[in-house]
Amino acid sequence: MNIEEAVKTYQTYYCLDCGVCTGSCPVSRILPSFSPRLIVEKALLDLGDELLKDPELWSCLTCSRCFERCPAKINFPEFMRCLREEATRRGTKPVYSHHGMLQTIMELQTRGIHQKKTEWAKEAGKVAASGDTFFFVGCMPYFDVIFRDLGVDSLTVSRNVIKILNAAGIEPVVSDEEACCGHDMLWNGKPEIFKKLAEKNLDVIRQAGAKRVIFNCPEGYYTFRHHYPEFFGELGLEIIHFYDFVQDMIKQGALQLSNGTGAVTYHDPCRLGRMAKIYEGPRHILQTLADGHFHEMERNRENAVCCGTSGWANCSSGSKQIQVERLKEAKHTGAQTLVTACPKCTIHLSCALNNMDMDLQIKDLTTLIAESMD
Amino acid sequence: MLDVGRHPRINLLAYSEVENVSGDAGNFRVKVRKKARFVNEDLCTGCGTCAEKCPTMTVDVFNAELGSRKAIYKYFPQGIPSIYTIDKDACRQLGQGKKCGICAKVCQAKAVDFEQNDGEIQLHVGAIVVATGYDVFDPSVIPEHGYGRIANVVTALEFERLLSASGPTAGHLDRPSDMALEKEIDDLEKEHKKLSRQLKQLEEKHGKSSAQVMDLVKSGAAAADKDLHNWAASAERFGELEARLEPMRQKIGAAQPAKKLAFIQCVGSRDFRFNKFCSSYCCMHSVKEAMIANEHDNEVSSSIFCMDLRAVGRGFEEYKLRGGKQANIKYVRGRVAEITEDDALNPVVWFESTTSRQVLHETFDMVVLATACVPTAGTPKLAELLGIELDSNGFFKTDPLAPLNATRDGIFVCGCAQGPMDIPESVAQASSAAARAAEVVAPARQVAAAGSQ
Repeated sequence: MNIEEAVKTYQTYYCLDCGVCTGSCPVSRILPSFSPRLIVEKALLDLGDELLKDPELWSCLTCSRCFERCPAKINFPEFMRCLREEATRRGTKPVYSHHGMLQTIMELQTRGIHQKKTEWAKEAGKVAASGDTFFFVGCMPYFDVIFRDLGVDSLTVSRNVIKILNAAGIEPVVSDEEACCGHDMLWNGKPEIFKKLAEKNLDVIRQAGAKRVIFNCPEGYYTFRHHYPEFFGELGLEIIHFYDFVQDMIKQGALQLSNGTGAVTYHDPCRLGRMAKIYEGPRHILQTLADGHFHEMERNRENAVCCGTSGWANCSSGSKQIQVERLKEAKHTGAQTLVTACPKCTIHLSCALNNMDMDLQIKDLTTLIAESMD
Repeated sequence: MLDVGRHPRINLLAYSEVENVSGDAGNFRVKVRKKARFVNEDLCTGCGTCAEKCPTMTVDVFNAELGSRKAIYKYFPQGIPSIYTIDKDACRQLGQGKKCGICAKVCQAKAVDFEQNDGEIQLHVGAIVVATGYDVFDPSVIPEHGYGRIANVVTALEFERLLSASGPTAGHLDRPSDMALEKEIDDLEKEHKKLSRQLKQLEEKHGKSSAQVMDLVKSGAAAADKDLHNWAASAERFGELEARLEPMRQKIGAAQPAKKLAFIQCVGSRDFRFNKFCSSYCCMHSVKEAMIANEHDNEVSSSIFCMDLRAVGRGFEEYKLRGGKQANIKYVRGRVAEITEDDALNPVVWFESTTSRQVLHETFDMVVLATACVPTAGTPKLAELLGIELDSNGFFKTDPLAPLNATRDGIFVCGCAQGPMDIPESVAQASSAAARAAEVVAPARQVAAAGSQ
């Protein structure tokens, strides 16, 4: 899609030039040269070439804070995604974080390699090779290795999902052949690789005979919900977020949770919150767990801010500043634990916290649920 | 308005609702339900003794729920007809089934009638003019503005009442957070006073000090004595209240009226999420409110945040400029992105100044939201009753070339019922609608007169 088509598709000519997007953008507050309003303006003024070479294209967090508030309803993150596609085609690319290791892993997964990434699952509980329910683990096994030095322990979260599913009498399918959902490749401007990954995943899930897919990772959930149908049409699969499932279990009395987590606060991941509109489910669960000690940060739900970086690209001192501010905001609520629901938020916020002198714990909601099971 | 009330040929049916409409242009039959006021309209002189003596306070909706009024009330002082009404739900006798009737006792005109029922009136009319006005958009659905969450973010209408000499603050710009604190202090002081009296009585009766009793209970020497336990609990609560009240009193003592104001334009209008249209009058009412606030207190300064200030109309642009020159008003080009709150309960406004291309934030004492003009809640129902259409924005639809005609003959629409407009335009439309209605009524009346001869 070239710039002209992107302008038409996302109707950016409705822009009121009001500045709400730039005023809302967490990046613009730190990096004054980045302005969503000016990017839209440049695209409208037909300054295409200049715009596509602009490194600022990769500074956007695609966190959707601007889209949430845009009075002209311009979907800036999706517009940005299209611009990135075009920019990539013309040979520009972002500054990859972690030396591009994660992008390499994602690209490798399209080349017929065999992964051995579910050994842990057999130890964690009962899993199956085929069946109704597919648990889409996502990149957690890789994160577990790559970010071990941060003390993040990503696989614990996946293990806990299996433990809780087992408690509900479900033996989910997990598969060695499952690939990355493609989220990062899509937002890195590489839709061809996204498509390959997605096709492979749909194949694996269908071959397992699954009718529903459960996600713990908000990015996987949102990508399956939103982008898979956009690229491949109706999936014929039930896409479920794990917290919706947990809430049902609590309602039916199948999951008994004790309280006593101490004071907690909650950080809305952008894919789960603003993009998938899941705000209240995690909060209901937290209110049960924290028994009156759940405190909201001032910027919550639609107003929440990003964890500082996305798509494993352009992690900068600005990202750090966003993270530090967010952690301070969490601490200000009086909480001892900052709960989040996205493996990347956990990684990014932990990374910043490790270099700070702050008495705060970061925990994934799933782990918190598993710890509170009777 | 008074002229309407006094006009010999205008029959005013306030506090009434249209229930059914049949017939055609020149010959409509309208059924109107006249709601029970529990006050006889023919007898009430509007003297106000009843409201003065009424013991029940309730929320004053006219004062944007910022103040309180009695259960027997007039919606606002200048309202016509000048007749009191009992708020059935709030009234001790009607709503709560208690014994009261004080209003009836003090009314010299014997106008209070607790037995009054809704009345039904049949009208035979030639034309109908719809002038149902508008509602104010509820800004609490916009999460980034924090209305309802941040105490010192108010709507323009609330601010209007704060500015009004007959409003809840007698025209002073007291901040809602301070008003809430004052109320909390009042409530706590009431409890404090009551406990103080109780403890004093106990101390006098038993010849023991409350501190001794607390020590006794703490040491376990008062093991099973329930009275002593209660006494100690009261004493503890009393101490707690004293400790809580002191810093609150200090805080309220240091409270200042608002001096630095922000006006946020286009709240709920020119916004595809809510209403696409421009509410047209809000630019001017924000300038006006900022001017009046500055007239009231010369130290008040205001920033008006807008995409463009639409001062369209005779003298409006000049008024806007005068505000900038003489009333400490700063016009900022940039729509507000979000409002947060600092520890001193001051709203902090975040925005991009689109002229300087900078993302800025500024702290204010109070923020005023210029809320959109939206169709009244009853509009769809009335449209159905009258058999007329609504436009895509939900207002009554009119013909662009016959701007007062509704989509059915003999029915006319004027003022904000057909879309946002300011007072001069509404007044002009009202006169015009009356003239158009007369065009229908006059020949119909001649026909009727000829028929009866």
